[in-house]
Amino acid sequence: MEDEDIEKAVLTYLRKKGLKLTELALQEDQSRVSSDASHSRSQNVADRYFDGYSRLRSWAYNSLDSYKHELLCVLYPVFIHCFMDLVAQGYMQEARTFFHTFREDHEIMHLRDLQKLEGILSPSHLEEMELARISRQNKVKIRLCQSSYGLLQQFIHKKCLDMLGVINQINFEVTPGQPTSISDDSEAVVLVGASQDLAREINQKELHWGLLEDSVEERMEKALSDSDKTEVEGNKEGYPEEINKVKKTDGNKQGTSFSNKKKKDKAVGATGKTTRSETSMGSVAPRVKSELTGPQLPPEVELSKFEDLRNRAQLNSLALPSVSFYTFLHTRNGLNCSAISHDGSLVAGGFSDSSVKAWDMAKIGQPGRASNSQGENGSMQGMHSLASDEAKRPYSLLQGHSGPVYSVSFSPFADFLLSSSSDNTIRLWSTRLNANLVCYKGHNFPVWDAQFSPVGHYFATASHDRTARVWSIERIQPLRVMAGHLSDVDCVQWHPNCNYIVTGSSDKTVRLWDVQSGECARLFIGHRSMVLSLAISPDGRFMASGDEDGTIIMWDLSTGRSVSPIMGHNSCVWTLAFSCEGTLLASGSADCMVKLWDVTSSMKALKTDESKSGPTSRLRLLKALPTKSTPVYNLRFSRRNLLFAAGALSAGS
Amino acid sequence: MSIVPKETIEVIAQSIGIPNLSPDVALALAPDVEYRLREIIQEAIKCMRHSKRTVLTADDMDSALNLRNIEPIYGFASGDPLKFKRAIGHKDLFYLDDREVDFKEVIDAPLPKAPLDTAVVTHWLAIEGVQPAIPENPPIEAIVAPQDGKKMDHGKDDSLPVDLKLPIKHVLSRELQLYFDKIGELILLRPETALFKEALLSLAKDSGLHPLVPYFSYFIADEVSRNLSNLSILFALMRVLKSLLSNPHIHIEPYLHQMMPSIITCLVAKRVGEQVSDNHWAIRNFAAKLVSSICRRYGHVYHNLQSRLTRTLIHAFLDPSKALTQHYGAIRGLSALGPSVVRLLILPNLETYMQLLDPEMQLDKQKNELKRKEAWRVYGSLLLAAGSCLYDRLRLFPGLLSPPDIQPWKTNKKIALTHLPNNKRKASSTLNSHQPPTKKLAVDPTGANSQFPSTDGPATSSSCGSNPNHHHSHNSSNNNSSSAGNITNTNTNINNATGSGALAQRMAGSAVLRQAWKEDMDAGHLLSSLHSLFGEGVFSFIQPADMHLFI
Repeated sequence: MEDEDIEKAVLTYLRKKGLKLTELALQEDQSRVSSDASHSRSQNVADRYFDGYSRLRSWAYNSLDSYKHELLCVLYPVFIHCFMDLVAQGYMQEARTFFHTFREDHEIMHLRDLQKLEGILSPSHLEEMELARISRQNKVKIRLCQSSYGLLQQFIHKKCLDMLGVINQINFEVTPGQPTSISDDSEAVVLVGASQDLAREINQKELHWGLLEDSVEERMEKALSDSDKTEVEGNKEGYPEEINKVKKTDGNKQGTSFSNKKKKDKAVGATGKTTRSETSMGSVAPRVKSELTGPQLPPEVELSKFEDLRNRAQLNSLALPSVSFYTFLHTRNGLNCSAISHDGSLVAGGFSDSSVKAWDMAKIGQPGRASNSQGENGSMQGMHSLASDEAKRPYSLLQGHSGPVYSVSFSPFADFLLSSSSDNTIRLWSTRLNANLVCYKGHNFPVWDAQFSPVGHYFATASHDRTARVWSIERIQPLRVMAGHLSDVDCVQWHPNCNYIVTGSSDKTVRLWDVQSGECARLFIGHRSMVLSLAISPDGRFMASGDEDGTIIMWDLSTGRSVSPIMGHNSCVWTLAFSCEGTLLASGSADCMVKLWDVTSSMKALKTDESKSGPTSRLRLLKALPTKSTPVYNLRFSRRNLLFAAGALSAGS
Repeated sequence: MSIVPKETIEVIAQSIGIPNLSPDVALALAPDVEYRLREIIQEAIKCMRHSKRTVLTADDMDSALNLRNIEPIYGFASGDPLKFKRAIGHKDLFYLDDREVDFKEVIDAPLPKAPLDTAVVTHWLAIEGVQPAIPENPPIEAIVAPQDGKKMDHGKDDSLPVDLKLPIKHVLSRELQLYFDKIGELILLRPETALFKEALLSLAKDSGLHPLVPYFSYFIADEVSRNLSNLSILFALMRVLKSLLSNPHIHIEPYLHQMMPSIITCLVAKRVGEQVSDNHWAIRNFAAKLVSSICRRYGHVYHNLQSRLTRTLIHAFLDPSKALTQHYGAIRGLSALGPSVVRLLILPNLETYMQLLDPEMQLDKQKNELKRKEAWRVYGSLLLAAGSCLYDRLRLFPGLLSPPDIQPWKTNKKIALTHLPNNKRKASSTLNSHQPPTKKLAVDPTGANSQFPSTDGPATSSSCGSNPNHHHSHNSSNNNSSSAGNITNTNTNINNATGSGALAQRMAGSAVLRQAWKEDMDAGHLLSSLHSLFGEGVFSFIQPADMHLFI
């Protein structure tokens, strides 16, 4: 300040005296000095970061192999913070050169983040971009063993003091013992330390992943075992009689369960919340009570379910399923999504021209399909007459949305169809009437995904507005809003017991939500890019998630841990499906492949050494089925374990 | 600093009506423009993913702009990704090919066909985990095991997969029937069109044609016997056969026995084609190639395939009552089966056959020009057969052409070229007496070869001139001289003037050949004998690489 005052005084003095030349010379001198200073200063700062980082980098790369891995983990946060510091201080040019020089090192692990951060070009962008803001405000947590931490400290203090400021952004968690050798992916991926703590905290919560009590499957099993017994006893009863028996017992049970549920219904109406029922710890799969009241199944539907269960093909690593592929032709890149009803008789597609089209495959499909005659006759006939009324279209055209349709989903008995669109709405259609029944408004941004619950009546949606919502078909307002994801919620899936939903998001996490409380019950960290597809095993214990890069990760819902991820595909995994017994996982991808994975062997391994930490087992690839340039949009196992797949033939390739 | 240069900002400013944007402002705006662009592109990628695509389109950008409540950009909407063209002379400059369209043209143009409506078709991607070989599935690399393939392929029509395990009723789907009819029609009516070429391609590549194979084999056999006089149809049939044979998804072995007779008919039929002027030679050649490819591919499966085939052919070859055309076909067929067949079956009979053939080739003995021409054809095919055999030997025993011999040859070259044929012959014979191996070569061949009409024969005088050099070098200077003599011979003999002389030479040649056969073990000898029999025509069968070694 003083200097400036003096200079000003001198200048005014000179001006007064009329010494113009001197004044100019002085001014010139001054400006040169100041610019020099600023220049050299900028050069200094930038160089300091540059040198410091490259020194740290070469040191880390040259360190002993046993510590190398841990030390390399430190590099990424340091890199990011160096870059952001440079930007924050306004050295855009230098920041960019710095970024490009060292970018390659981190591309394998953090490509998506790098792509986002690359765009940051001014301090204001740092404030604006969420990823940058969060990572600057929060400290990264890195786990190091004592000796590597010591080494790092020593190095920083001796050779690389410049980096100290950056290193302080990292929260080191020093653990005694040996350095870890394999990268613990879930830890390395996230920049924000807080989310890991959060995940750990959340994943402590109790989770009732068991199947519903008194489900059809359970009754079926019982009935089957009963019938087995009778057969063993030597009463050679024909099957029809058997079925009759089952039906009778069914009817009784249904009556009782119906009254039970009615009672419960009232309770729900009164309190709005039911106390969580204690889980009955069965020996194989624990059973839980439903927290949602579902609709009653009509008896004929139950019967058809029984039939399907009885005729289900047993699948395992040796007996692979048959795959029936529905190819959409002439879509001109317009097909955004597809859905297949449980028996494969109805196929629906959502198009970017806002339309939804539904095909009745029984009508146009070839005769002699075993799977078609599965109790959908009523709806088919309805469709028939209506379709013939309209122009001779082979499909029913459902118009109503005003933006690209991003997902379609059939209700469990294929009487309803749900579609979500970029016009922020979800629409419910009747497949019998071919008409729109309800339009659900509530989301403020495009709705990426909508899924019917396994019992029908309820559905869940995922949206660009970062929320997932749970609705019932009879109310136009959502029942629950699940907020917590840091970016778009891209996909949603129901847990088989309907008490939970899982959501996958662009923030690279998967969350499991308790439908009753609307709270996040599990947080799964491990994906490196946006999560596109989810599936939960029929026993409710495991979940598979697929992402944009082609990675598939299996998760144990109860512990929140993952089986080590696999690069299942070369491109986006659009869809995943478990077979009915949960022995196989099918995945469909943009690389035009359907792959079948062996779940049982890998999961057995997981179950046996549950106590040990560290995921070791992997999914085993059983079969890769390539299509003829048709990306696979949708997969579904029928109740008889026939696998349906759908996709649009991509022209040109 | 930013990827967006400030000039771009200035241009954009001008386009929205700000003529003089100061450079500082442009510079300051550039980074922000880039940031916003990236943001929007990232949003657009999200939209792309939710549209289940991996290619970003203009629609995605519009949806991304919509998400931010920005008006979309008009005029770029299209279902397909935009196609950019590279600007000529620039490595990284691309532009949209956006031509000006004349309204009048558009209005006057007839309405385009209505685009096909969206449809859903089903097929079996897998049956109990195994992909059936149907056209809807991508081609499997190869048929894994024959029995497996049979099981897969037999009952496999896309419409009747369920029948797989039942006793199979062979039902052709309507598509396949149409396909078959169409191909049949093409063969019989328009075998020259481009469409037929496409059809051949499809026959060679498509999976799922298996159910048609028995029909095709029957069709071909039938049509061949019916259309022996129609060359173009015969040719088309043979090409269809070839395509079927090359299709990796067809398990054709069970039908080979039905197809072979038709091919052999085309190969050794007495008369093929309507008129004598028809180029029936070409179809014989084609059939020969086909036969050899079949033997190569299925010989190990059908152990008696080749023996039966050679028996048939050698019968045709050795029966003097058969027409020359049939002989031609038989020779072509045998030679296509490989050099060892030639060595074992043709060469030993060469001498006797030559005796038979020779009168036919002489102007004075065979007055019928057509017959004479045919005889020359046969001669040419013999040359080809022997030559390829030679080539093969040479390849197997490259050591035969030993370097030390080069020197003497070089010195003699000049002389050799200047020698007159008669002198040379004399010289060679004298030399031969001391040097048994060279003797064979010396047997001066036959200007016959040179008389051979050059339509088929590979040798032109110029190429001969260069070839002999190295060929001879492997034995002695002596040979060189003789071969050079041959050349001159050829030149003089082209007009058939020296008929009888040539005959005498040929006789001598065959004697040497016999000798060569006695010492069959010595491949080098065989070589030289072959050469001597056929003269410089053989040289074209010697690999250029070998030639260079000695030039």
